[in-house]
Amino acid sequence: MTIKEKHSTRRTVSKMSYEENKPKAFERTNTVETSYRVYDGEKVGICYSIGEIADEEGFARAQADPERARPYPFTPEAGGERRRDKSESHVSDRELMDVAGEYMKYILEKYPQFTFTGNFTAETCRHSLTSDIGTDFEESDACFGAGIAFKHKDSKDIMNGYFGYNMRTLDDGSVFRTMADLYLGQYETMTEVPEEIILSIQYYSLTGALADELNAENLALGTSHLTGKVGEQVFSENFTLEHDVTDKESWFGRFWDGEGCVIPNDKLVLIENGVIKTGYSDKRVAQKYGVPHTRTAGHNYSDLPYPGGLNLRIRRSEKTIRELLAGRPAVIPMSSTGSPMDNKGNASMIIHTSLLWDGERVVGRLPEFRVNMNFFDILGKDYIGVGSDDSPFFNDKVILLKVYKV
Amino acid sequence: MGEKFHFPEGLYADIRIEEKYTVNLMKFNGELVNDRATQECGALIRVYDGKLWYTTSTNELDRLQEELDALAELAQPNPAIYDDPAIKLLEVNREERLRYEGDKLADIARQRFMNVIDYYAGACIEDEMPGVNSWSIGAGGEYSKLSFYSSKGSEIVYDYQMCAAGVWYTLGGNGEPMNCGKQIFGAVPEELTGHEAEILAERARCVDYLANAVDVEPGEYTCVLSPITTAMFAHESFGHKSEADFMLNDKTLRDEWVLGKKVGSDLVSIVDSGDMQNHGYVPYDDEGTKARETWLIKNGVLTGRLHDSNSAAVLSEELTGNCRAQSYRKRPIVRMTNTFLQPGKDSFEDIIADTKDGIYVHMVSDGTGGATFVMNARVCYRIRDGKICEPLRVHQLTGSVFQTLFDIDRVGSDFELFDSYTCGKMNQIVRVSAGGPSIRVRKLHVN
Repeated sequence: MTIKEKHSTRRTVSKMSYEENKPKAFERTNTVETSYRVYDGEKVGICYSIGEIADEEGFARAQADPERARPYPFTPEAGGERRRDKSESHVSDRELMDVAGEYMKYILEKYPQFTFTGNFTAETCRHSLTSDIGTDFEESDACFGAGIAFKHKDSKDIMNGYFGYNMRTLDDGSVFRTMADLYLGQYETMTEVPEEIILSIQYYSLTGALADELNAENLALGTSHLTGKVGEQVFSENFTLEHDVTDKESWFGRFWDGEGCVIPNDKLVLIENGVIKTGYSDKRVAQKYGVPHTRTAGHNYSDLPYPGGLNLRIRRSEKTIRELLAGRPAVIPMSSTGSPMDNKGNASMIIHTSLLWDGERVVGRLPEFRVNMNFFDILGKDYIGVGSDDSPFFNDKVILLKVYKV
Repeated sequence: MGEKFHFPEGLYADIRIEEKYTVNLMKFNGELVNDRATQECGALIRVYDGKLWYTTSTNELDRLQEELDALAELAQPNPAIYDDPAIKLLEVNREERLRYEGDKLADIARQRFMNVIDYYAGACIEDEMPGVNSWSIGAGGEYSKLSFYSSKGSEIVYDYQMCAAGVWYTLGGNGEPMNCGKQIFGAVPEELTGHEAEILAERARCVDYLANAVDVEPGEYTCVLSPITTAMFAHESFGHKSEADFMLNDKTLRDEWVLGKKVGSDLVSIVDSGDMQNHGYVPYDDEGTKARETWLIKNGVLTGRLHDSNSAAVLSEELTGNCRAQSYRKRPIVRMTNTFLQPGKDSFEDIIADTKDGIYVHMVSDGTGGATFVMNARVCYRIRDGKICEPLRVHQLTGSVFQTLFDIDRVGSDFELFDSYTCGKMNQIVRVSAGGPSIRVRKLHVN
C-alpha cells in the first residue's frame, strides 16, 4: 500500500525599497513550492516543484524516479483536520507605499544628518499538508515589516546601524517613530563603555546555536557541547527553553513538523530551570540512536526530513526588563560581528556601534569595543533573563546577558 | 525569444529568465542523508519610468508578456525615458555563450556524483580515525542558463556550471567539538577527485590543533595571512568599499574614496573581473552589461570601483558589469564577482623567516566589511624568530580599512583563487571568488 502526501507553501511579498533616502523600487513576488511524496513503508519518492503544477503530475513524478527513491522505513500518521490562521489584517500595495512614504518622511525631516536605506514589506504565507490517509493541515499568517539601515553623514563607515520590526496589524506609526527616536535621537551624544557590560539583544542567534547543540544526533555522537549532560543542571535555574509551535510572537510557522507529526500540547520543553531535559529528533534519528521521537523534523521539501525546524523560545521572567536590570544600564548593539564558538564554548564579539540605555532613556552612543563570552556562562552565571515586557528597541522580547570587555 | 516580447512605450523594461538545475548528495557517517535534484525556472521583470523601478518575479514563463503589461500599468510612461542618465548608459549586447551544452549538469547522471563520494570515502575515511567523531562527504553542482532581453534591444543567453565536493570531519569528543575539512571545485564531477592528500593533511593539522592550541593573549600583532585568508581580507577589508552604491548621496564617503587617492602601500593592487571562469563568473551582469576587468587599487592608488547603471550615472563613471541579483526572485544590486589581491615576489618561507614575532593565520571562517573589518579565525599559529610555533586559539582578527592596506609590507608569489566563497549584502547571497597570495600585515588586532 502506498500513501500520498502533499506539502505546500504559498507566499506573497510586496516590498517598497528606499536607497540612500530615495524611493528605489516597488517589488512583488508570488511563489508556490510543493513537495509531493509517495511512501511504500520502505522508501519514499519525492517530487519538489517550484511554481504551479497539477497534483496528478506531481505524484506521478514522485513515483517515476526509482533511482532517487530514498530509504524511509516509516509510515506517515493520519493527522486529522486542523487549521490555524494567525493573520490579522491585509496590507494592500497602496497602503504599503503610503506607509513607507509617511515613515520615510518622518525620519528624513527629523534626522537630516543621517542617510537611510531600507525596505517596507507586506508578506503573506500559507502552509498546508494533505494526505490520502486523512491529514488536512493548514496554517496562514501575514505581517508588515520595516527595516532601516542608517548612516551618519559624517561617518566614514558604510553603515552605522539598523533597526526593524514586524507586526501583524499596522499601527498608527508610533512603533516606527519610537524606534527611530530611540536609535537616532541620542546618536551624536558619546558616552563611555561601562565597567559592567549587560547586553540587551534579541535572542535568535543564541537559540540557533542551542538548536545545533540539542540535536539528538549531535548529542549521541559527541559533537555537541552538551554531550553527556542530559539530565544535568548546566545553566541558570532561571533558564527554560522550549519549542512552542503555538507561539504568536514568531512569523510564518506551522504546527506540524516535516514528517507531519504534531507535538502533544504543541510544546516540547528541552531545558527546564537549567536542566537539560532532552535532545530533539526526527523518526530516523530516534530509531538510529534509541532516543525519544520528539516530533521535530525540519521542513525539507526536496529531500528527506532532518531534525530541525524548531521554534525555540526562552521562557520569560516574571520581572520586566527594568526590574531585571535593577538600576544597571544596558548596551543595545546597533552593529556588531560575533565569532563562532570554539571547542571550549568561548566566543568574541566586536560591537561597532551601540547605545547605552539606563532603563528609561538613551544615555548616548558608545565607541567601538570588543567583548568575550562563554556559552555556558551566558546561560549560567551571566544570564540575567528575558523580560516580561517587550523592548521598544526591537518591538520584541530581549535577553539580558553579562559579557566581558577585552 | 526577445522578438516575442512587446515592450511598453515610454518605459524602459528588461526580462531576465533563469533556468537552474541543482544536484546534491551527501553521506553522513556512511549513510546517504541528502539525495536531491531540483529544477527551477523563473523570471524577473523590471520596468522603469525614470522615478521608480517596478519589479515582479514569476515561475510562469508562459505568462511573461501579461506580467510585463501588468507591471507597466503601475508605472508612469515617460517619453524621455531613454534620455535618463542611467538608461542611456545601458549597453545593447547580443550574444549566445553556452559553454556547457556538451556536458551540462542537467544531463549528468547522479551516479557520477556518487562516484566522487565513494572515491573520497575510500581515500579519506578509515575504520579508525583517532580524534574524529563524525564525518560527511558531499558532492553536487549547479547549472544555470540565463537569458536577458531589454527594451533597448539586448538579447543575451549564457550558461554557468560549477560542481563541488566536500569532505568534512567533526573532531573532539567530550563536548568539545571542532569542524574541519576541505571543499574542491570543478566544472564536471571528474575534476573533483585526486585531492585526498590535501584533505588528510588538513585533518591531521586540525587534530593536532585541537589537542594543542592555547588561548591567544589579546592584542595587536604582526600577522602573516595565508592565501585563503588574504582572499577574505581583500573581499572584506576593501572589496565592499569598492561597491559604489553606498556613496551616491554621501559627501563624506565620496571625498574619502576619491579616485586617485593613495589608500594602501605600493605593494597593494586589487582587481575584480566577472569574465574569469570561476565562482564569480558573470560574462554579462543582470542589466546586460558585458564583464570587464576593473582595477580597484593599483600600486596602492584607488583607480576604480564597481557599478550598476545608476551608480555609474550618478558618479559620471563607466559601467563595470557588477549589477547582480541572487536569483530571479531578487532585484539586482552592485556586487563583487571574482576579486583578488595581485601576487608579489616573496616566497611564503621568506615571509615567515623574516617575521620575528607574530601570528600566522592559516584559516578563517567568515567575516564582515565595515570601516573596522572582521575575520573570524579558525586555525592560527604563533610565529617566533622566523618560525611557525604552537597553535593558537583565536576568535577574531580586526583592523581599520583606512590603515591596514598601508600596513601590508610583504606580498607573496603563492597566488590562489578560491571558489568557496559566497557574499551576503542586503539579504542577497551571491556566488563570488576571492583570491590572493600570502601577505604580511604589520598590525592587526587579535582576540
